[in-house]
Formats: sequence, C-alpha cells, structure tokens
Amino acid sequence: MIQAEKISRLYGATYAVRDLSFQVRRGEVMGLLGPNGAGKSTTMKILACFLPPSSGTAEIDGVSLNNDLEVRRRVGYLPEHAPSYHDLNVFAHLSFIGRMHGLSAATLQDKIVEMSAACGLQSVLHRRIEELSKGYRQRVGLAASMLHDPECLILDEPTTGLDPNQMIEIRQLIRRLGEKKTVLLSSHILPEVEMVCDRMMIINDGELQAIGTHDELVQKENSGSVLHVCLRGHVDAVAKHVQKLHADCTVEVIAQRQADQSLLVFRHPNPTIHLAEAVFSAAVAEGTILLEMYPERTSLEDVFHRLTGEAA
Amino acid sequence: MVDGMSLAWLQIRALCFKEWRVLLDTPLGYVIAIAFLFVNGFFFEMNLFLFGQADMRAWFYTLALVLMFFIPAMAMRMLADETRSGTFELLVTMPVSTSTIVLGKFLALWMQILCLLALTLLYPLTLSCLGNLDIGQVLASYLAVVLLASSYASVCLYASAMTRYEVVAYISGFIMLLLLFLLSKAIPSFSPVMQNWLFLLSPLSHYQSMLRGLIRLSDVMFFIAMSSVFLSLTWFELERRRWR
Repeated sequence: MIQAEKISRLYGATYAVRDLSFQVRRGEVMGLLGPNGAGKSTTMKILACFLPPSSGTAEIDGVSLNNDLEVRRRVGYLPEHAPSYHDLNVFAHLSFIGRMHGLSAATLQDKIVEMSAACGLQSVLHRRIEELSKGYRQRVGLAASMLHDPECLILDEPTTGLDPNQMIEIRQLIRRLGEKKTVLLSSHILPEVEMVCDRMMIINDGELQAIGTHDELVQKENSGSVLHVCLRGHVDAVAKHVQKLHADCTVEVIAQRQADQSLLVFRHPNPTIHLAEAVFSAAVAEGTILLEMYPERTSLEDVFHRLTGEAA
Repeated sequence: MVDGMSLAWLQIRALCFKEWRVLLDTPLGYVIAIAFLFVNGFFFEMNLFLFGQADMRAWFYTLALVLMFFIPAMAMRMLADETRSGTFELLVTMPVSTSTIVLGKFLALWMQILCLLALTLLYPLTLSCLGNLDIGQVLASYLAVVLLASSYASVCLYASAMTRYEVVAYISGFIMLLLLFLLSKAIPSFSPVMQNWLFLLSPLSHYQSMLRGLIRLSDVMFFIAMSSVFLSLTWFELERRRWR
C-alpha cells in the first residue's frame, strides 16, 4: 500500500509537488495523470526514494520513506525513459539488478527466465542493450523493475515507445500484477489509463486536482444529464410530457433533419436522473416515433482538460 | 535474499563485476591496456639502456606521471556516465547505500589499475634474469605505486562524481592530480616550516620516499587517509545531489 500525506518538493523556490495526499491500496492500479511539468515524475521519484520530500510523509507498506533502504526493497521502480546499462547485454543487465537486490544465483536465474518471458525478451536476452529498439529497452526496464518481486510497483510512463501489440501485452501484464500488488503508473495516454487503472488521480502544477475511479471523476465533472433525441411526430407534446415528469428539464430543438424529423436536446441539472426513461415513456404515451437517442457523456479527456486547463 | 553487511558485500561485488564486464565487453579496456603497456615499455627500455643497470627506480618515477594520464581516463565514466545516461537513478533506487556505491566503484577502478600494474611485472622479471635486481626495493616500490594508484583513483572518482560529462571528469581529474604533482615540485621554493607541511601533504613526496625501499607507516597511512578523504568527498557529492 502507498500512503502519502501532504508531500511537497521544492526546487529552489518553486514547488514541483505541493501538499499531495493520496492512498493506493494493495491489489489496485492507480493512474497518475497530469500535463508536462505537473509533478508526476517528481512524485514518483519521491516515492521511489530517489528524492527526499521537502515536507510531508509517505509510507510504502507501512514503512516510512525515512527508512529508505527498506522502502527500496519493497518498491520496483521504472524511471522515465527506462534507463539501462547500454554496454551490457540484457542478461548481464538483469543479473546486475538482481544481484543488487540480493537475489541468490538460483533465484536470479529463475527470475530472469520468468521476467524475460513475461516481457517478451527471450529472443534478445544475449544482445547488447544499445543495439535494441526503444520498445525493447522499455521492456528491459520493466523486467528489471519486477525482478525482485516487489510489493509495490512505481512505473513512470511504462508503455512509451512500445508498438500497439506490445502495449496491449504490457497493459495486460500490469493488470495481472495489479491484482496482487500495489501499482502506481503515470501515462499521457488517457485511454490506456482508463483501460488499466482501477483509480486515477489528476495533478496540475504539483497539486492534486481530482482522485477517484473513472466513473467518479466523470460524474463529478458532469454538470447534469444531457440527452440527444431524434423524434418524428408530436415533438412539442413529448417535450411537455417530459417536463411534466421532470419539472427542471429544459428542451431545445437544435435541428430539423427532414420535414417531420426533429433533433432535440433534453437537459436536466441532476446528473443521476434517468432522462432516457422519461423520454421513452413520453414518446410512447404521445404516439411519437423515437428514431434515435443517446446521452452526452463526459470523457476522461474532458475531465483532464477542465482540471488542467490544457488539451489532453 | 540476504541482509545487512553480507548484502553490502554482494552489492560491492556486483558493482565491481559490472564495471569489469563493461571494460572487457567494450574496446575501452583493451585500448587502455595496450596504450599503458606501450608507454611504460618505452620508458622502461629507455631507462634500462640509458643507465645500463638492473634498477627500476627511474621507471617508477615516470610511472607516477604516466598514471596521472591513465587513471583519469579509466575513472571518467565511472559516475559521470551513470548520471548522463540516467542509470544513476536506477542505481540509487535499489536497496543500496551511497557508501556501498562509492566503495564498489572505487574497488572496481582500483582493481582495474592493479591489473594494469600486474602486467608490468614482466619488467622486474626480465631484469632479475639479466642482472642483480634488488627485489626488496622493487616490492616496496610496487606497494608504493599500488597505494599511489588508490589515492589517484579516489581523486578521479570524485572528479567523475562532480559532473555528467566524461571529458569534464577527465580534465578535472587530471588537473587535480597535476596540482598535487606541481605541489611536490614547488616544495623547495617555500620556507623550511612550510616545506615540512607541504611534504606531509604531497603524495609524490611520500611515494618517492617509499621508492627508496623504506616502508614507513606514515607514508602508508598518508595514502590511506588521502583515499578516504576523496572517497568521503565523493560520498558527500552523491548525497548532495538528492537535496539540490
């Protein structure tokens, strides 16, 4: 489990991270979102014990960051750009990482075989890292971060540079790991975060803007229920019928498709209200044909854009 | 999994092994070894034919100068390259203390230098076949050069910790060694009181004192102290980075 309490980090007089508090539970994948320079990598560096926080505290599996050697044993960290020893081959690199974590020779061998299989590295195990593509280097970094079977994984943009097939494989791997371990990952790819993460948090200028599941974030940003409807027949009667059921509902005719088809938008300030049910009942009651109906959904991109003030 | 001191030793061993692997898997190690032997062979045969005696003292004097050029070259990438390529972040987020990193890097570098020096053992072997070589003096001189190499290695490791650029690490390491060399050359121009102090602080003075075949505890302690000071400075520099 990761528990951060008001962690801040100053670079000179500028806050890179400010009063950040959050919790990532075991068996959960948490996505860390934010525009460039928002403080994502700094947050991860603090939790991986690379940088000490200027103030605040954090615990990994109940161990305070002050006990940094113990924390590092429990954390598997993939830094941004997945650095690795380019002069070594993949096997030698992974051996080095394993030995630094104190793995015995027999365990090390088994772990290298297991992780190279999980990350698809078997074919390049004896090739020098400098000869590998960016995607393979990323996979080497991932394998290295998981080699010592850590309780907690901190992955800074783990799928950068991977091709679509590799991305799917790595996402599946992270999801599998997330069932038992605590995973915190950052990404710029919002659909990826939606797919992989159980919960997500959005930070901007080093401060937490929102935290929760995808549905919670979207729900929070929803200003109400919006329903787009295409009707043929007694449009006004349907609108009045719906307004009779929900007094606060507003109706707007936005277009006439053909002579007898109208496009309407029903809006209600309550985001939890079931407008579709009311419109369907009204159309049936008024003998009007319902041709099309879809709710306007707030996407994660919209939430991200609103909270960070930048395009996703 | 192991813990405590044994883990630290395993990590030091892993660091040394990794540095050796890089040295032997790239042309770097071979180029340095060939150049080192070429330069030393040149000075050895020059001294041998110039004096015509089975004596290695002159060669040991020049060896101190040769090391001033070679040790910065071997040390420059040790920490500067880790910083530039981002592997320093990987290294320090593993359960390893800064002192273990410094010690591992230092021992790797020192052992690499010792291996180069071991290659020169051919010279005293040749000389002992040709004439009457003072083995005791040669052994004391080798101990002196091993200790001198340790202090030079710690100076250059510190230079490598201060920057992310290898060339800057080489130049700053070389300049620090050059200043120490010039210090010993400038000793006679100071007042007698100052001369005593400067003699104490000059690695070359201690080195030359040992080349006479006399192993004094003060000389040995000086090299150990000098290495410790620069290794502590390296430790401080690496720790300081986290708090910037």
